[in-house]
Amino acid sequence: MPTSTDLLQGTLDLLILQTLSLEPMHGWGVALRIQQVSKDALQIGQGSLYPALYRLEYKGWIKSEWGSSENNRRAKFYRLTAAGRRQLEAEVETWDRLSAAIGLVLGRRVEVPR
Amino acid sequence: MIGEWLTRVRFLFAWKRRGEMDEELRFHLEQSIALKVAEGMSPAEARRVAMVEFGGVEATREECERQRPGWWMAGVLRDVRYAARGILAHRWFSAAIVVTLALGIGLNTMVFTLVNVVLFKPVPVPGGAQLVSVMNYNHARSDQSVPMSLPDFEQYRAQSTVFDFLEGATRESGVLVEKSNAPQRYSMTRATAGIFAMVQAKAVLGRGFLPSDVEPGAAPVMVIGYGVWKDRYSSSAGVIGRQVNVNGQPATIVGVMPEGFRFPENSDLWMPLVPTPELAKRDNRALWGYGMLKRGATLRAADAELNGIAGRLAAQFPEDKDLYANVLTFHQRFNGGKIRVVFLLMLAAVGFVLLIACADVANMMLSRSLSREREMSIRAALGAGRWRIVRQLLIESVVLSTMGGVLGLGLAASGVHWFDLQTKQIRPYWIEFSTDFTVFGYFAALCILSGVLFGIAPALRSSRPDLMGVLNDGARGSGRRSGGWLSATLVVFQFAVTLVLLTGAGIFVRSLMNSLSTNAFIPAAKLTTARVDLPEKRYKDADARVKYFDELLPELRAIPGVEHAAIASDAPGLGAGSQPVELEHVVVANLAQRPRAAILAVSPGYFETIHMPILSGRGFGEMDGAAHREAAVVTRDGANMLWPGQDAVGKRLRLLDDDGKPGEWITVVGISGNMLQEAQEDVPKPLMFLPYRQQGWGNMTLIVESDVDPLASMRKAAAKIDAELPLSEPRRLDAAIQQQVWFLSLFGKIFTGFALIAMLMAAVGLYSVIAHATSSRTQEIGVRIALGATVGNILLLMMRRGLWQIGAGLAIGVAGVVPMARVAGTVGVSGQVTEIFLVAALLLAMVGVFACWLPARRAALLDPVKAIRCE
Repeated sequence: MPTSTDLLQGTLDLLILQTLSLEPMHGWGVALRIQQVSKDALQIGQGSLYPALYRLEYKGWIKSEWGSSENNRRAKFYRLTAAGRRQLEAEVETWDRLSAAIGLVLGRRVEVPR
Repeated sequence: MIGEWLTRVRFLFAWKRRGEMDEELRFHLEQSIALKVAEGMSPAEARRVAMVEFGGVEATREECERQRPGWWMAGVLRDVRYAARGILAHRWFSAAIVVTLALGIGLNTMVFTLVNVVLFKPVPVPGGAQLVSVMNYNHARSDQSVPMSLPDFEQYRAQSTVFDFLEGATRESGVLVEKSNAPQRYSMTRATAGIFAMVQAKAVLGRGFLPSDVEPGAAPVMVIGYGVWKDRYSSSAGVIGRQVNVNGQPATIVGVMPEGFRFPENSDLWMPLVPTPELAKRDNRALWGYGMLKRGATLRAADAELNGIAGRLAAQFPEDKDLYANVLTFHQRFNGGKIRVVFLLMLAAVGFVLLIACADVANMMLSRSLSREREMSIRAALGAGRWRIVRQLLIESVVLSTMGGVLGLGLAASGVHWFDLQTKQIRPYWIEFSTDFTVFGYFAALCILSGVLFGIAPALRSSRPDLMGVLNDGARGSGRRSGGWLSATLVVFQFAVTLVLLTGAGIFVRSLMNSLSTNAFIPAAKLTTARVDLPEKRYKDADARVKYFDELLPELRAIPGVEHAAIASDAPGLGAGSQPVELEHVVVANLAQRPRAAILAVSPGYFETIHMPILSGRGFGEMDGAAHREAAVVTRDGANMLWPGQDAVGKRLRLLDDDGKPGEWITVVGISGNMLQEAQEDVPKPLMFLPYRQQGWGNMTLIVESDVDPLASMRKAAAKIDAELPLSEPRRLDAAIQQQVWFLSLFGKIFTGFALIAMLMAAVGLYSVIAHATSSRTQEIGVRIALGATVGNILLLMMRRGLWQIGAGLAIGVAGVVPMARVAGTVGVSGQVTEIFLVAALLLAMVGVFACWLPARRAALLDPVKAIRCE
C-alpha cells in the first residue's frame, strides 16, 4: 500500500486540488474521497494531509472557512480559489505530459497529448 | 498573481491559531472513529485503532507550522531578542566590540564610497552611464590620450553611427579684458555646438550654443560659468549682450551656465569652435572628444567603429600614421594609472584593517565563549541542536556587527566629507563624493559578513561543548588550553598585517618628507610667484617680449619691502622644459642619443632671489644673453653629467630643436649649487640656466622675495606696463610646492591613519588575550607567588606567549612587505624600504610588548593570599 510519501513530489498537491475542485470539503473528506476514488490504493495519513492543506492555503490556492459537517459538527471546509483553479489546470497538464512521457519510456502505447 | 502574493504577505504576519489546528485534527480523529464504528468495531477498539493509525499529533502540528512562509523568522526574532538581552547584560564588553567594528566597517564604507565614485559611478550628468571620452591612441609611443585634429574629428563624427552626440572641445585659457574689470585668466574651452545639449545642460540666463555659432564667419559669442558670473559680474542680469575681449579678440556674452556646471573639464568659459585655417591642419591636435553613446550601443562597439575610420585615415594621411581611435569611460581616461592603483591600495588597506578588527572581536568572543560554556552546555543538554546553537551565536555576532556598522556610518560620512574638502582643488568637477545604493549594499554585506567572519569560529567552538566535563566541573576549567591556538593565530595574523600597513604608510611619509626637504636652501615661505603669459598677437617677437620683462623687473624691485625679484620660466622645483644639447668636441651619431637638458630661462638676480650659491665662475649679469654673449650656468650635478671629471666653466654647447637644428654656441660661465627642479622624475636630467634675453620666451614666472605680501603691488606694477595683462596663479612658493605634493601628502595622511588604527587594534587584541589568560589563571599565579616565584618569573610566564606571537607576526609580515613595496613603487612612491621597515617593526614590537606587559605586571603584583582565594 503506497503511502503519500511514496507519491511523486507534488502529486499530493495535485490530488488535493483535483478533489477540492468538485466541491468544498473538510480535511477528512478529502482523505476519504481520495481513498475511495483510488479504490483504496492511495491512503493519505493526517501527517501529510494537513501540512499539504496548510501549504496550499498559504500559497493562496485554497481557502478555508468554518462550517458544519454532515452530522452538524463544526468543521473546517476548504475550497479552491481562482488561483488554485489555474494552478490545477497547469498541474494537470504537466502531469499528462509527464505520465505520457514515462509511458513512452516504459514502452506503453499512449497518445501524447498536444 | 498579485492576489497570491498578498495572501503570502498576510500570512507572514497573521499566523493560524493553535486551537483551530487542534480542533481540525480532533475532527479528523472523530470521523475516523465514527467510520470504524460504522464498520462494526466496538467504540473502544475503534478509538484505539484510530489513534494508532492517526499517529503523533505534535509532529503534524510542527509540520503544519513549517508550511507557513517565513515560519523561521519567529525563531530568528527570538534569537535577536535574546542576543540584544545578552549584549545589554555585558555592556562594556559589547561596547568594546561595537567600537572596534565601527572603526573597521566605517573605514571600509568610507573608502568604498571613494572608490565607487572614482572608479565606477557614472559621471553625474543626465545619461552619464553612456558618456565616453574619445581620443587618439598612439601605439608607437604607447600614449592613449592624444588629442584629435579637427579634420579627423569631423570624419569620426560624419562616419560613426553609434553616437547620439560626438562633440569636441579644446583645453586652453582665456584672458578676459574689459574696461571696468581687471584682466583675469580663466580656464576656457572652445567646443562644438552640441557640447551643452549632449549633457542636457541649459543656460540659467541667456542661451547656450546655436548651430549657427560655429559656422565660419559667425559673430563670436561666449558662454560664461556661474562662478565667473557671480564673482566678476556680481550676478547681474545685464551681462547678457556684454562685449568683452577674450585673448585679444572681441566676443559677446550670450549665456550663463548653472551653478556647478563645468563640463567637460573644469571649464569657466565656453566659446564655439569656429573652424579656422589653423584648426584645419591635420597635425594641429587640439580636440578632446566626448561622446554620448546611443541607447544600447556599447563602448566596445564605438571603439571598433572609430578604429575602422581611424585605420582609413591613417592609410590616407601621413599625419595620421600610427594613430588609432581610443574610446574610454571618463574613469578609465582620467582616473586611470596611479589614481586607480592608489584607490585600490586604500581599499586593500582598510580591508586588512577590517580583518584585524574582526580578529580582535573574534578573540574577545573566544575568551567570552570560555565563560559561556556552562550556558551552552545547559542549552545542549536541554536538546538544542548544534546548528541551533551556532545560529543563535551567529545572530548575536551579526547584531553586534550591525550596531558597529551603524555607528561606523557616521565615521564614514565624516571621512568622505574630509576627503571631499581635501581634494576640492585638484579633482575634476564631475567627481562628486556621494553615496548610492551600491555603497549601501556594500555596507550591508560588510555588516553581515564581518559578523559571520568573527562569529563563526567562536560559535563552532561553543556549539560542541564537552557536556559532562563542564557540567561536572566548577564554572571554570582552569589550565584548559584548547582554542588557544586559534587566538594565537589571530594575534600573529594581526601583527603581520599591521607591519605591512605601517611600512606602507612609512614609505608614503618618507617619500613626502623627501619631496618637501629638497631645495631646502630656498626660502619658499618668503617667495611669492605669479605667472605672466604675453599674448603672441601683441608681443610678436622676442625683442618685444624681452622689453616687457626688462621694464617690469625694475618695477618689481621698487616695491617697498621687496628684497629680491627675478623672472624665470618656471618657479623653483615646479618643473621645466627640456631640449637635446650638443656639446662642443663631442660627436654623437644621431639625435636620439643626444643628452637632454632641463632648461630654465632666468633674469639677472635669479640666483640671489632663490638664495642659490654660485660655486665657481659667476651668475648672470645685465649683458649676458645679448647677441654673441650667449651664456649658461649649470648645476654641479648637471656639469658632472655633461662633462664628467672636467671643469665645465668655459665649455661650450648648443641647444638643438626637435628636428635637430642647432642654435648658437653657448658658453658656460658658472656652476651653481644643486637644485631639484622636477619633483617626480626617476632619472634627473642635467639642469641648465640660460639668460631670459637669450630665450625671449613670453610665458614667465615672476618671483619676489618679501616679508610682506607683495601681490597687490605686483599686480599694480604689471598693470603699469600693460593694463590688459593679468597675473595668474599667484601663490607663495611653499604653498605651490605643497600643492604639487598633494598626492603624497593626502595619501600619506590617510595611510598613516589606517596603519595607526591597525596598530592600536592589534595592541588591544593582544592585551585582551593576555589579560584574559592572566585572569583565568589568578589562582595558579597566587600559588606560584606563594611558592616563591619572583616578579620576573611571573612576568615571563605571562608574557612568553605574547612575545612569541609578536615575533611570529613580525616574521610573517616581512613576506607581505616586499610585494607591497613593489606596488607602492608603481604609483611613484618609493624610498628606503629596509630602513622604514626596521623602524616600523621596532615600533610595532615596542607597542606589542607594552600591550602584554600591562596585564602581566598586574598578575605579577597580585597579593598571593587574595589570589589563591579568588573564585
